[in-house]
Amino acid sequence: MKNAGLYLALAVSVFLPLHEVVAGGIVADKSSITFVGKQMGAPVEGRFTRFDADIAFNPAKLAQSHALITIDLNSIDLASDESESEIKGKSWFNAAAFPKAVFESTAIRAMGGDRFEVNGRLSIKGITRDIVVPVQFRTVAGAQTAEGRLEIHRSDFKVGEGVWADPDSVAESVQVRFKVTLKP
Amino acid sequence: MNQEKYNSTAITLHWLVALLIVIAFSVGHYMADLDLSPWKLKVFAWHKWMGVTIFALVLFRIVWRFTHTAPALPAAMSDLMKRLSGVAHLAIYLLMLAIPLTGWLHSSAAGVTVVYFNALTIPDLVGKDKALAHLFQEIHETLNWALLGLVMLHVAAALKHQLVDRDNLLNRMRW
Repeated sequence: MKNAGLYLALAVSVFLPLHEVVAGGIVADKSSITFVGKQMGAPVEGRFTRFDADIAFNPAKLAQSHALITIDLNSIDLASDESESEIKGKSWFNAAAFPKAVFESTAIRAMGGDRFEVNGRLSIKGITRDIVVPVQFRTVAGAQTAEGRLEIHRSDFKVGEGVWADPDSVAESVQVRFKVTLKP
Repeated sequence: MNQEKYNSTAITLHWLVALLIVIAFSVGHYMADLDLSPWKLKVFAWHKWMGVTIFALVLFRIVWRFTHTAPALPAAMSDLMKRLSGVAHLAIYLLMLAIPLTGWLHSSAAGVTVVYFNALTIPDLVGKDKALAHLFQEIHETLNWALLGLVMLHVAAALKHQLVDRDNLLNRMRW
């Protein structure tokens, strides 16, 4: 198992004192999760207005650092009411059965400076996949922020099935951007 | 009887833009009630491409109109009628600009960038804002009904000149 080292680190972290790395929430009005997809070759923007995160981050104690991000898929803000109700429907998110997208980190690696690589599991629509997210952690005016972007292939999570599977209509790739400000 | 004509560029542009407006209007009317589907996305994209084309051609027409002299109106027309004709034509020109512009604003506010023929990205005019998108959509539709009214008036006036006044005004716009 190639992730054995990571799991070991996680297992070890359980026995370490945790008081120096305390998980906290995020400041909602200073945090955003937006995305850009493509329909008929044209970029389409959207965002999620409700999400929460439990993030414990200390660059000196990466083994104990951890992130759990939960996105309320029903809070999606898209082009129109019609496209929002469509994307919550069964062919897309099936938000009635799977109302949340969840990302949980499994390991964080330092990449130099304020850059880190967060390995974790992303679950959407009942499908869980391992992903790697490059994240920049910064401290701005005393507040810690984390920002980054990642590319998701919607078919990996069966988002857009049936007639919507055609990538010529709605592209496979979706660029997700996030910026969260951690609660002090 | 006035036999002076518009030049061939003006005539071609007039009929080309007229044809494109009829198609874009019909497509727009048809697509508004479609349920969301890949087909609807396609039709919306075509409609936007037509709108961009019309907008560019109308800008060119305006430049052409200012740099070339239009044939004089029939001497038999009263000053009031000449003035009304001028106002109606000005209104049509303004709508031919305002309608693609509000469509463009609507698309920008909806968060959907227009990419002309899948090749040329047209810059967004405003940021994503659903309430604003809805407002621009309403304005876009209302202006279209206004244009339909003015085009009907335009056609009726041309027919009146041809059939009632018998001043052969249509000849000015004939190839």
